[in-house]
Amino acid sequence: MRIPILKLHNYLLISIQTEIDDQTAIKFQEDLLAKIHKTGAIGVVIDLTSVDIIDSFIAKVLGDVVSMSDLMGARVVLTGIQPAVAMTLIDLGIHLQNVPTALDLEQGLVKLHQELGG
Amino acid sequence: MDENLKELIINNSDSIVDNWMDEVGRIKAGNYTASISDELYENTNREFVNVIFTSIQNQGSSKVVEEFSEKIINLGWPLSYITDGLQIFRRVTIDFLLAQADQVDSNHFSIVLTSVDEWIEPLIRQLVNEYSGSWENILSLQRVALQELSAPLIPVMERITVMPLIGTIDTDRAKLIMENLLEGTIKHNSEVVLIDITGVPVVDTMVAHHIIQAAEAVRLIGSTCILVGIRPEIAQTIVNIGIDLSKFLTRSTLKKGFTKALEITEREVVDLHAKNQGIEDIMHSLKGE
Amino acid sequence: MNPRSCVNIHKEWDIVGARQLGREMAKEIGFGTVDQARIATAVSELARNIYLYAKNGQVCFEYIYTNSQKGILMTAVDTGPGIKDISSVMQDGYTTSGGLGAGLPGVKRLMDDFDIESAVGEGTKIKAIKWIR
Ligand SMILES: Nc1ncnc2c1ncn2[C@@H]1O[C@H](COP(=O)(O)OP(=O)(O)O)[C@@H](O)[C@H]1O
Ligand SMILES: [Mg+2]
Repeated sequence: MRIPILKLHNYLLISIQTEIDDQTAIKFQEDLLAKIHKTGAIGVVIDLTSVDIIDSFIAKVLGDVVSMSDLMGARVVLTGIQPAVAMTLIDLGIHLQNVPTALDLEQGLVKLHQELGG
Repeated sequence: MDENLKELIINNSDSIVDNWMDEVGRIKAGNYTASISDELYENTNREFVNVIFTSIQNQGSSKVVEEFSEKIINLGWPLSYITDGLQIFRRVTIDFLLAQADQVDSNHFSIVLTSVDEWIEPLIRQLVNEYSGSWENILSLQRVALQELSAPLIPVMERITVMPLIGTIDTDRAKLIMENLLEGTIKHNSEVVLIDITGVPVVDTMVAHHIIQAAEAVRLIGSTCILVGIRPEIAQTIVNIGIDLSKFLTRSTLKKGFTKALEITEREVVDLHAKNQGIEDIMHSLKGE
Repeated sequence: MNPRSCVNIHKEWDIVGARQLGREMAKEIGFGTVDQARIATAVSELARNIYLYAKNGQVCFEYIYTNSQKGILMTAVDTGPGIKDISSVMQDGYTTSGGLGAGLPGVKRLMDDFDIESAVGEGTKIKAIKWIR
């Protein structure tokens, strides 16, 4: 299974619609970095509205992908984390401290636009 | 029900009611109703006996029964007021009917007993059901109200929501606060959420921990949390016990926090006075002409 | 009336199977969505630990009832290498695999009751209960 990555101008948009297993998560990490490299994207929005579970493994993959993209010059925003998911992450002690967030995809784009200044 | 007996009772309702009022009046002293004013007690008793007679006359008039039991609950009187009252009515009525008869044989005796029971029993059942039904109703309403009260969320304006916390915060309540906070933030699409702890009497490590977790969860779902209502003594304890709130936005008052929230959402309050001033100037200049 | 359902863990995909079963059973007995997520996440952590560190094992679920409460009990058992120092693996951030080290301490916080038994060379058994609020 592969998570589709859409390109919009300088941005990449990902909406995760399926239950993520470990392989899919790792594959996604590789795909996204390759796509950033290929397109020269400066911003990425990963929308998690439909994701109803994030355990420590997926959280690590997501946190890592944000840091890796940063290294490649693309800013990542996570959007749409559900209340139940946020609460379980807090219980796990995972705060994704350095990961920017926004309420939904649209606001994620606005946030990137503001931060990247155009 | 024996129609003759029924007629007899209805025709003599005055004396039955008198007897009943006497007896019920007597049980007042020294029990649950002792603290109730005599007037209220007597009025309610009169209403009660009316309900009994109404339901004898036209079987199954549930409206009055319903209203009466609701009234008893609202007064805060216990169920035993109703059951005692009906038992007394039963006894008074049986006494009265037996006293009316020229001669009392076992046959007549049993007819009287059965007839009176036939009336009273459905009424007891109905009243008790109504009473416990409305009681459960009230209880569940209050439970919901209490839950909402313990973690209310106020969408003060577009994109800004306030949660004022009042009272002690324990683990259960902290969970409820967190859930309401996150669900509400999403529901109102709030970019900024202000948690006001002005009304939280003590902020110890545990309370601080719960508040920090709530603020962190708010950030995860993509909103920004501002902690407001930090009184001097709270600022002191927070620093003294070594809690690090430096990652979070904090303000001493809701007012200051709200100003910050406006800034974050890129808005500002415009003073309309300036505009009025302009109009005054115009009026003035018009007058001058 | 009180069936016990288990998922064998030996390939990565079994982690997903285990958490789906856990969530399903939690929902069935009446847990709200937030607690369902908590339970499913805890299952995921325990199942992954079995897959990563013990290779083979089993995660089982059953409903439990007391006079005043009902809840779900999950048991994760494996015959892997076991854990030498339980108090250190229960600390946030402790990991031998480059993970986040959030799994075991996290499960303890996600659930209401938590119990771990382990013997080096024999395996590990973890029991965790969540009660319906
Ligand atoms: N079933 C198990 N068998 C053996 N060792 C385990 C098992 N579960 C956990 N451990 C050990 O405990 C450590 C902490 O586990 P955990 O809290 O889940 O964090 P992580 O999996 O991210 O390392 C693991 O790194 C591993 O060394
Ligand atoms: Mg783990």
